[in-house]
Amino acid sequence: MTASSSRGVRSLIRAGRAGRLARRVLALLIGAAFVFPFYWTVVISLGRPGEFSDFPPVLLPHWDWSNWSRAWHAAPWVRLFGNTVLIASGTVLLCLATSLLAGFAFGVLRFPGRKFLTMLVLAVLMMPGTVLIIPDYVLASDLHLLNTYWIQIIPWGASVFGIFLVRQFFLAIPQEILDAAALDGASRLRVLWSIGIPMVRPALVIIAVNVFLGSWNSFLWPVIMTSSSMDSSSTVQPVEVGLSTFASAEGTDFPGLAAAVTFTTLPVMAFFLVLQRQFIRGALSAAGGVRG
Amino acid sequence: MTATTTARPALATDGRTRRRTPARDFRTTRWGWAYSAPAVLIFSAFVIVPTGYTFYVSLWKWNALNPAMSVYRGLGNYQRLFDATQPTFLSSLWHSLYFSGAMVVGGTALSLALALLLQRGGALLNASRVALFLPHATPMIATSMIWVWIFNPRFGLADWMLHSLHLPTSQWLQSSTSAMPAVIVYSLWHEVGFTTVVFLGGLAVLPNELSEAARMDGCSAWQEFWHITWHQLRPVTVFVVAITAITSLQAFTQFYQLSDGGPVYATTTLSYLVYQEAFVLSDTGYGAALAVVLFAVTVFFTLVRRRTATGADSALT
Repeated sequence: MTASSSRGVRSLIRAGRAGRLARRVLALLIGAAFVFPFYWTVVISLGRPGEFSDFPPVLLPHWDWSNWSRAWHAAPWVRLFGNTVLIASGTVLLCLATSLLAGFAFGVLRFPGRKFLTMLVLAVLMMPGTVLIIPDYVLASDLHLLNTYWIQIIPWGASVFGIFLVRQFFLAIPQEILDAAALDGASRLRVLWSIGIPMVRPALVIIAVNVFLGSWNSFLWPVIMTSSSMDSSSTVQPVEVGLSTFASAEGTDFPGLAAAVTFTTLPVMAFFLVLQRQFIRGALSAAGGVRG
Repeated sequence: MTATTTARPALATDGRTRRRTPARDFRTTRWGWAYSAPAVLIFSAFVIVPTGYTFYVSLWKWNALNPAMSVYRGLGNYQRLFDATQPTFLSSLWHSLYFSGAMVVGGTALSLALALLLQRGGALLNASRVALFLPHATPMIATSMIWVWIFNPRFGLADWMLHSLHLPTSQWLQSSTSAMPAVIVYSLWHEVGFTTVVFLGGLAVLPNELSEAARMDGCSAWQEFWHITWHQLRPVTVFVVAITAITSLQAFTQFYQLSDGGPVYATTTLSYLVYQEAFVLSDTGYGAALAVVLFAVTVFFTLVRRRTATGADSALT
């Protein structure tokens, strides 16, 4: 790159109002492009029948809600949503408990075998979901756990990311604080409960929102573990698996499917938008890695 | 630490404890393992032992309905990897590497560029950052359905855009040459918000002195980026490359919902083939052998990452 052209780049990026404005406009356009697929789905879901296949595409909604009611009545969505919320909440609670205890053990306590157990937990990062799906399916089948809530909660009830995030927070606490509490005669569990938890609370929030979202968005695991739980009145399938089943059954009803995509995605989108700060903090501390 | 212990044996053996806690030693306990036991038990039951079990299953012609009826094949399933049956193992390995390579190169470059664009921004740039992250937070199964319509060659947005710009249109998911690029476009849309935020985090903590010095010396913006910012971001880049490589090797949902491994197996990756062999064709033993190969590829990438990692994740190890 020649000196004159790079000086041109420099002035565009750094200096001048024009450059700053150009940067804003570009950022706005890119942001809009990333959100546009969601907008278009809403447009299709509110369009008149047959309109979705127009070319050029229709870009403004016609507020025809019949697609929504048709899609809503075609599957047991309330039950599916309830399953997802139950599974995600159960996974979050279990994950918080295991991360807190193990993070406390690895970050604060000294005991024989600590190094070995730390390495063992780190090794889990190398063992990815696609590899585990076969033996875990065989295991779940032997234990009669297929098509249950348990198999969707317990295996995901521990997170390497969560454990190491809690551990990092404990390492950052001045030693004297926990030791002083212990001097007063409090037991270790008592110290963890009344002093540890308040001090690592930001880590717990990051773990809770990320595990909740991860559980809500998972697909391969529940589709395999609940493949024969089709009976709509007692199904244990989460909403994403229900959506996939709905899509293969009603694949040609595009506006109806667009409506189903919209109303199944809106809750998770709202959850993200309300808590986006926590997710962005989570991404920043993601150096611990993500399992599965 | 050993030197201290031998020199002053009266002190606690632990390097962190300067002096013995008067009342009792709060940190040292034989029961520490019990605190980690719930997590370790879950990992052992569903991750560590099953990984070994995959090797075991891969040695059998596994009978899923009645494992007692399984027939031992030794390395037979691994020999079958090189048979010419469609879809072949080698072609699916190639598709995995093609997809992962494109995601690593494209995803890293794109998210670094986006992070440079969005850094130190006001409200508007922050809103764009949230917009970028949004696809990553929404379920893949739902968003894949949206992109099936976007890629529709008859009425989709993708071809409409190309058409309006007077560019040649594409068959996207319906042609075996453009299907994989289409899945890559979708996956970049879904993943790039996360890695952009990781880069933004890296940029936010860079010390300013070097860049300022470079500017004083008359470096251009490009030279400043290339010699200073990019160099300082190296640990973050290593992390992004590693995490993208590993998630891409494991990617499944987009291949299931967007392209169904096709057309003509053009998007059948190794992880899709594991699912296909084990759960659709019920050839569990062969699926396990494929999973072992996938595991080996993943471990290879993780070890390469360990060796090359400098600052970013050394905090963990």
